[in-house]
Amino acid sequence: MKINVVKSVLDASDAMANVNRRRMDAAGLTCINMLSAPGSGKTTLLQKSLPMLPDGMRTAVLVGDLQTTRDAERLENSAAQVVQINTGSGCHLSPSQVEQGLDSLDLSAIDLLIIENVGNMVCPAAFDLGEHRRAVLLSVPEGDDKVAKYPTLFQKADVILLTKIDLAEILEYNFDRVYEDLAKINTAAPVIRLSSKTGEGVEAWRDWITAQRPE
Amino acid sequence: MHEMSIAEGLIQSVLAAANQHNATRIERVEIDVGQMRLIVPDAMRLAWQVITEGTIAAGSELIVVEIPMTARCKKCGREFAPKLDEYLCPDCGKADVDILTGDDIILTSVVCDSNEDAESCDKKGTETQ
Repeated sequence: MKINVVKSVLDASDAMANVNRRRMDAAGLTCINMLSAPGSGKTTLLQKSLPMLPDGMRTAVLVGDLQTTRDAERLENSAAQVVQINTGSGCHLSPSQVEQGLDSLDLSAIDLLIIENVGNMVCPAAFDLGEHRRAVLLSVPEGDDKVAKYPTLFQKADVILLTKIDLAEILEYNFDRVYEDLAKINTAAPVIRLSSKTGEGVEAWRDWITAQRPE
Repeated sequence: MHEMSIAEGLIQSVLAAANQHNATRIERVEIDVGQMRLIVPDAMRLAWQVITEGTIAAGSELIVVEIPMTARCKKCGREFAPKLDEYLCPDCGKADVDILTGDDIILTSVVCDSNEDAESCDKKGTETQ
């Protein structure tokens, strides 16, 4: 017997993401999902930029990692609330893990929620978590050819952050190559060049965050 | 390796469809996989083999059909077929699109042994969504 079905396998995951989004909408907060390879500087950028947000903007971070609470510990002094989610062997955060993270936060005391996804350039891109915006980081040491190698990650980005630009000269980084690849993949997302070390460009990222509102 | 997460969702849909038809064993499952979902068919089949252990779908064949992308330009409305590494609108040259197809994973059919005959199966016709 052949049973014909037309059912999205992602329904359950997307439905959970929509539940998360509605819950955050109801609480009046904006959620930004940060995606990148491991070591591109997500945590360092948050340590640097969250204290620069306008006074009264209350922040929280959900940090996804396979193991350890190191990132959450690093962020303790930068955000009012920090929750570490350990995925074990999971290569991306799932909407249900974010739901559990939301359970452990006081949403009424948050204006901005950052989700720091598991460092990975493939799997996290495939899962909506309920966020309002996606920020994708690409650090200079990763190389100027990565946009074309991982196009789906960049196609779905709302903002693209080129990080560790203080290393550009020593690594002979070709920014034009990145822009040429992005011109074919995503012309809607602004590109911000920054260095958490020198502080260059971090204000532009801060301003971008501040301008985002849930739709 | 997000194929295992996908397999977890898939087995639930497959078993639900099979239960509706009192299936006793599942032989074959077919899915349409959007190109954008970056599914590796071999990894998907391996995940399927693992996730179905101990269920009536154990040992079943998983057929993965890749669905190419189509998109609509947000600037000028032109519909076209982008490539994974190129979303340039052929009319206005912007890369700012809504994805129309190729960004979903759809269970399309389940072949199973059942106590019901084929006729009663057709009458019930599991058409959801």
